[in-house]
Amino acid sequence: MFHLGWFLTTGFGVYGWNQPWSGNVAADVGRPELFVDTARALERAGFDYMMFEDSSVLPDIYQGTFESSVSAGQAVRMDPLPLMPLVAQATKKIGLIATVATTFYPPFLAARLYQTLDHLTQGRIGVNIVTASPHKAAQNYGLEKHIDHDKRYEMADEWMQAVTALWNTWEKGALQLDTETGVFADHTKIKPANFEGEFYRTRGPLNLPPGPQHRPVVCQAGGSPAGRDLGAAHADTIVSAVVGAEAMKAYRDDISQRMIDHGRKPDDVKVLYLVSPIIAETDAEAKEKQAQMRAAQAANISGNLAAMSYFTSMDFSKFDLDAPMPDLSGNNGHQSTMADFAKSGRTLREIAANHRTVESVELVGSPATIADQMEEVMDYAGGDGFLIAAPVTRKNVTEIADGLAPVLRRRGLIRSDYTHNTFRENLLEF
Amino acid sequence: MFHMGWFLSTGFGVYDWKGPWSGNIRADIGNPELFLETAAALERAGFDYMMLEDSSVLPDIYQGSYAHSLKNAVVRYDPLPLVSLIARHTEHIGVIATMATSFYPPFLAARLMSSLDHLTHGRVGVNLVTASPHAAAQNYGLDEHIEHDLRYAMADEWMQVVSRLWESWEPDALGTDENRTVYVDHTRVHPIHYEGRFHRSRGPLNTLPGPQRRPVVCQAGGSPAGRELAAEHADTIVSAVVGVEAMRAYREDISARMVAHGRDPHDVKVLFLVDPILAESNAEAQAIAQRRREAAASDVEGALAGMSYVSGLDFSQFDLDAPFPEVLSRTNGHQSTVADYQKAGEDKTLREVALTRSVKDSIPLVGTPASVADQMAEAMEYAGGDGFLIASAVTRRNVSAIADGLAPELRRRDLIRSSYDYGTFRENLLSF
Amino acid sequence: MFHMGWFLSYTVQNWRDPWNGNGSDLWIEPELYIEAAKALERAGFDYMMFEDGSFIPDAFRGSMEYALSNASIAPKHDPLTLIAPIARETERIGLIATVTTSFYPPFLAARLASTLDTLSGGRFGINLVTAHNDRTAQNFGLEQHHEHDLRYEMADEWVRAATALWDGWERDALTLDEANGVFASADKVHYANFEGTYYRTRGPLNLPPSPQLRPVLCQAGGSQAGMTFGARHADTIIAQAGDVPTMKKFRETVRELAQEAGRDPDSVKILFLASFVLEDSDRAAQEKDAQMRAASEANIEANLAMLSFSSGIDFGKFDLDAPVPEIETNAARATTAHHLRNSEGRTLREIVSTRSTGAFNFVGSVPTVADQMSEVAAEVGGDGFLVQAPIIPRTVHRIADGLAPELRRRGLIRADYDYHTLRENLLAF
Repeated sequence: MFHLGWFLTTGFGVYGWNQPWSGNVAADVGRPELFVDTARALERAGFDYMMFEDSSVLPDIYQGTFESSVSAGQAVRMDPLPLMPLVAQATKKIGLIATVATTFYPPFLAARLYQTLDHLTQGRIGVNIVTASPHKAAQNYGLEKHIDHDKRYEMADEWMQAVTALWNTWEKGALQLDTETGVFADHTKIKPANFEGEFYRTRGPLNLPPGPQHRPVVCQAGGSPAGRDLGAAHADTIVSAVVGAEAMKAYRDDISQRMIDHGRKPDDVKVLYLVSPIIAETDAEAKEKQAQMRAAQAANISGNLAAMSYFTSMDFSKFDLDAPMPDLSGNNGHQSTMADFAKSGRTLREIAANHRTVESVELVGSPATIADQMEEVMDYAGGDGFLIAAPVTRKNVTEIADGLAPVLRRRGLIRSDYTHNTFRENLLEF
Repeated sequence: MFHMGWFLSTGFGVYDWKGPWSGNIRADIGNPELFLETAAALERAGFDYMMLEDSSVLPDIYQGSYAHSLKNAVVRYDPLPLVSLIARHTEHIGVIATMATSFYPPFLAARLMSSLDHLTHGRVGVNLVTASPHAAAQNYGLDEHIEHDLRYAMADEWMQVVSRLWESWEPDALGTDENRTVYVDHTRVHPIHYEGRFHRSRGPLNTLPGPQRRPVVCQAGGSPAGRELAAEHADTIVSAVVGVEAMRAYREDISARMVAHGRDPHDVKVLFLVDPILAESNAEAQAIAQRRREAAASDVEGALAGMSYVSGLDFSQFDLDAPFPEVLSRTNGHQSTVADYQKAGEDKTLREVALTRSVKDSIPLVGTPASVADQMAEAMEYAGGDGFLIASAVTRRNVSAIADGLAPELRRRDLIRSSYDYGTFRENLLSF
Repeated sequence: MFHMGWFLSYTVQNWRDPWNGNGSDLWIEPELYIEAAKALERAGFDYMMFEDGSFIPDAFRGSMEYALSNASIAPKHDPLTLIAPIARETERIGLIATVTTSFYPPFLAARLASTLDTLSGGRFGINLVTAHNDRTAQNFGLEQHHEHDLRYEMADEWVRAATALWDGWERDALTLDEANGVFASADKVHYANFEGTYYRTRGPLNLPPSPQLRPVLCQAGGSQAGMTFGARHADTIIAQAGDVPTMKKFRETVRELAQEAGRDPDSVKILFLASFVLEDSDRAAQEKDAQMRAASEANIEANLAMLSFSSGIDFGKFDLDAPVPEIETNAARATTAHHLRNSEGRTLREIVSTRSTGAFNFVGSVPTVADQMSEVAAEVGGDGFLVQAPIIPRTVHRIADGLAPELRRRGLIRADYDYHTLRENLLAF
């Protein structure tokens, strides 16, 4: 069996604006209903989690304006954290991960907030740690420009240690709720964290009891060596976008090795690979759809350049479209992605025309065909599952949850039921 | 502008149970969630109402057994509890539930509807059916069902009793004096003392009048008796006539009947049943339509079972490749539908009729949301009013395609409402 | 341990009560009942029971004035409409609503009950009444109501017809075989083919079986015919008996009748109506009780109205200061008899000036009331109490958050629900 999750590419954002199957988007802006409905659907389908990506930047790199960020609502994002309790209230088992930028969120604030959410979700919350890439993000918080890539990861590692120390300030059994003795909590089991690092210091303790998980699930996505190491050290689940079954297998093996180096069991992390399935009733129809989508994407050069600009913090409108792609591997942005681009030797236009949503493996066909493809790849890669990264529209959600998932279930490839009540327990069950 | 509704063809039942997009259907059986999500979606799309069909019968005419029904999930839960739940989940959309006038004691029905009018804040309606199969009557202790026209005479009287009961409390019966010394002014509450051929009731109701006082009344009847009942009592009518000519003729006929009853023709909205096939391109939609035709063509059993149900005759007894049998005179069932079959059967074999009958569509709607919106506009222009009832299977995918795909196109063309102007069902229904 | 329930109506919840807030207008919205249900679920109650009626009393002084002016007995809405919304926001508490067998076609009721049992996950029950009033009968087209004992004969057949329908689908009839395209197996579904004197029904029901298969059956009716009917069919019986000897006798009688009908007496849970005056101290409670009693006894109009309601006879016609006349009623026999007991040598005024409710009255601080309940339950032998009070949040919270935790601490009521369905939880002890 493998795991399934949904990666909400723009978190609590705006999806499918002005597209054929999402004509009511206006009514959903900043409203919980779409995400509540989605969570319920994915829970029906036995998904492990929904992962809300996040960013606090309205990008204006491309062409130096905000146009590419708002003309289609592309980069608009509400803060996902307040949405978590609303979605939790409407569901029972599915895990919910919300993103936090370690570079900007004070450890005590994050530790307390996520502990609170662990209560409100009854043990189903997770935190996705990112270090944030654009300079503009740092500038929102008063820095001139963002901290250097590797240093950010060093800080993130320490951040995680600080937060973990805080989560451990209440021992198991500190909360007594004893009406006989009248003791609510036992003070002898609560101790300060007294964490002192190079970048962070925090005394603690937290002023609230631990939630059901004690330690919320930790999620991480990072292709660079520093990123992989952070994940191997702290994560329960890792998001990967490496391309192709070989790369998937290599990634899984690499993570396993790093975990062993950190004294952890490889089974304790689930790696999920990003995919964006194109499903239809027949294979032919799906292929037709794919062709149409590719043509549309290839024609949308400016949209693709805008996306690339965002990832790299470089304004691609400045470069000659028909010259070879410049080498930006020293870039502070998404290093691994940049390295791939430079290696290819193609022109900027060619790269932009072929710019696709990143996915680990192409999945195109009827539900049965896609199930075959997923089974084959997962067998080869050695684990652990897939993260659907399609736009969050009701049509996409029902096609996955009510079309594809039941087929996977019938073949015993995904769970038929949740065995446990908390997120990590279900995640680590297989 | 025109009106939109959704006709849930098997009420609180099970839809498309073997369909490609209903894989989680186990979780949906007897579970209100699907219907609540549908209601919320249709409200986003500005629909006037959802209409929950109903029947109390497990069909057992075809092959003299209910095996076919059970294989194919032809089951239905009582739709009335869904009304309370949908009410709480929505704010504007109307909800109509079906009641069989032949079996529901009028006082019980009037009281239940009055209670629901409150719970829905004035958004409930009742769809009147007389029920057709003998099996229905036999559930209630009769040997066989009452003859067609007599059923309608009884239904007419039933509606009279229920209407009078809804009026048994004057509008200002609730005590209004400053200090509320009196809860209800008893001088404004009156027995009805109704004595008819088939029904008697003293009254009054023991419920407060709801926001609408009189819930919306819906009716679907193709036969002359059915049309009369509708013209006299209904606020909205469900029609399944085929083709724009027939639609136009139907609307005109209803208007004429209403005038004869002293009513303003604008006070009834006729909605025509359709089952749109939507896709991202016209070619894809045509391909899907073709696939459906082929699937229907290979499901002769399904067609025969359906025909058996509406006519009350076991079609498995007839030779498939012989000329279509004479059935109209033998049926106590859905007369207009059976009449349609009989007409289609002229010069055709039973098999040919079985494979080509689609009971649902007034007009075929196939294409992208944009082109279907155009087709709808054209048809409605010709027919003269008043709207369409989607009769597609209630799956999340279909609901999303209509609510998030088609409706926004209709809205863009100002063909349907962008928001609800009023607080209650009838007011919104009659607002244009 | 004993069971707890709440007895209420879908009506104005005591609109003159000072703690009622906006209750006089908000009684129609489901929120009031949903909040109460959640509170009672926290307190481990077995069920909430909605009584019901379909008429406006007009026996008293020959007019509807008393009832409508005082929101007494009327208006009353159909409680079946509340069940699904309450079920949706609760998980374990049982929900019982009244159905009048005399006028509800059995097929209609059986189907609705099965649907509600499914929607509540197996927590639904129907309270079977025959209706006690000519006016109800006249609303349904009869000149006058069926004679008392005949009503119970009909009700008995009604239950058997409904049961034949509920039994028509075997528990595993729903095969859901997607591979072979079979939703349910025809060989596990059966016609009811019920033929009685008063009811006939062919069946089968056209919906899959609900979690309990048959909804819980509840009954309240103290006449001989009523008790026999309840003992034969009910899972839970509601009894009015204001003192321990009467309670004990009632329970013994019902258990005997159940045994005679071939049932295990333990499978019928008898809950006694109870009223509560809970205050911070015993003295405060007793004072409060005395005040309430005085007010009730002084309210002769209300008491005459209540007598008229139960009996269908206008007690406003009689001379207050003469002895109570002999009356025979086709209406609520046991209730009327109860009100008129001890009438030897007393005037009507004296009778209606003495508080007479069928409920056992518990008065005191929480620990004292807990003691009293414990004693009564021990003496009577079982099975529990039904709080008879309007749904006013203050009252609900006193019971759910004040009294219940104390009862729980003493192991007198359940700490948790062991099962998911109503019948299982009822039979748990």
